[in-house]
Amino acid sequence: MAGLSAEIREELLSAYLDGELRPGELTVVTRILTGDDEAIAMFRSLQAVRRAVRLLPELEIPAHLLPEGHFGDRLSAYLDGALRTAEMRTVAGHLMGCADCRSELQTLDRARIAIRALPGVEPPEILELRREVEEARRKMRLGRVAVWVGGVAAAAALLFGLSVGGREQPTVDLADLGDRHVARASVTSGFQILPALSETGKP
Amino acid sequence: MNDERVPSWEDVAQRYGRRIYNFAYRLTGDPDDAADLVQDVLIRVRSGLDQYQPGSFEGWLWRITRNAFLDGVRRRQRRPTMPLPEDDHASLGSSPSPDEVLAAVRLSDDVQAALVKLPYDFREAVVLCDVVGLTYDEIADATEVPVGTVRSRIHRGRKMLRETLTWPV
Repeated sequence: MAGLSAEIREELLSAYLDGELRPGELTVVTRILTGDDEAIAMFRSLQAVRRAVRLLPELEIPAHLLPEGHFGDRLSAYLDGALRTAEMRTVAGHLMGCADCRSELQTLDRARIAIRALPGVEPPEILELRREVEEARRKMRLGRVAVWVGGVAAAAALLFGLSVGGREQPTVDLADLGDRHVARASVTSGFQILPALSETGKP
Repeated sequence: MNDERVPSWEDVAQRYGRRIYNFAYRLTGDPDDAADLVQDVLIRVRSGLDQYQPGSFEGWLWRITRNAFLDGVRRRQRRPTMPLPEDDHASLGSSPSPDEVLAAVRLSDDVQAALVKLPYDFREAVVLCDVVGLTYDEIADATEVPVGTVRSRIHRGRKMLRETLTWPV
């Protein structure tokens, strides 16, 4: 049709498909489609595209997004603060109006608290470490007693005018303890040795 | 929706949630993004209903939806869209014939893939028209552009789809 650009003609065809023509435009479209094979082909292709988009399957919205949907599967994550911000707010809003979910949340929270209150169970490696540490401490105590006994003897010798000069003092043989880290730590900080042990990677 | 009364948040969620979800899904091809958008829109609706003046409710709602979508896009800094998962259509209750199901899946995938390639303005207009089912006037109201612009965008979007789709049209 003279006077109308191809773009406008096609636009009219598209609007015609949607029933969105303005007053007077239907006459123009009728003229465009009368005897113009190219225009008819364009019309049919636009029609097919429109139908294809409209035939896209309508998807069901996930139930939890709707008011009557409950959040059972997300309440644990909500308790742990593991939901995305928008989702946290949605769940919070839902909880305000849903007694069922509030009750479930309380049950989950009680279970969570009970589980967290369970005593820790140490794995066998830790028990073995503790045994080694006890052994190291025992040896250390024996060493200290030996030093104390030696000191008392030296003092007594001095008091009684006996010379003990040049005599070796008993010492703790660190090598006997098997692990120098254990020995150093136990001497300086008692049971703080466990971290030191774990850092060495040696059980 | 009756424009003479302010709907409740639950009414909005029930009546429009699915359409909002489909709108977002067809724009992005991503179910998580679509779910996020629905949540965001419903939160905005809930907080905005107090200020809503009875009038064009759908225009108000779709402006909120559109703004929420664009905010989400900006937040993700134009994160690339993901293709539809393979099993997306498996639960849609399509035709019982395996061949028909397969053809429908391929066709849907092709159309979805072509949609997400459209420039945003064209894609939005086509989706609001052909997926959501709004009139040109309603789309103009929602997108805050003249009706003539809506008409042009829908046509140009369809024309690009026709050129992108590989199946004969």
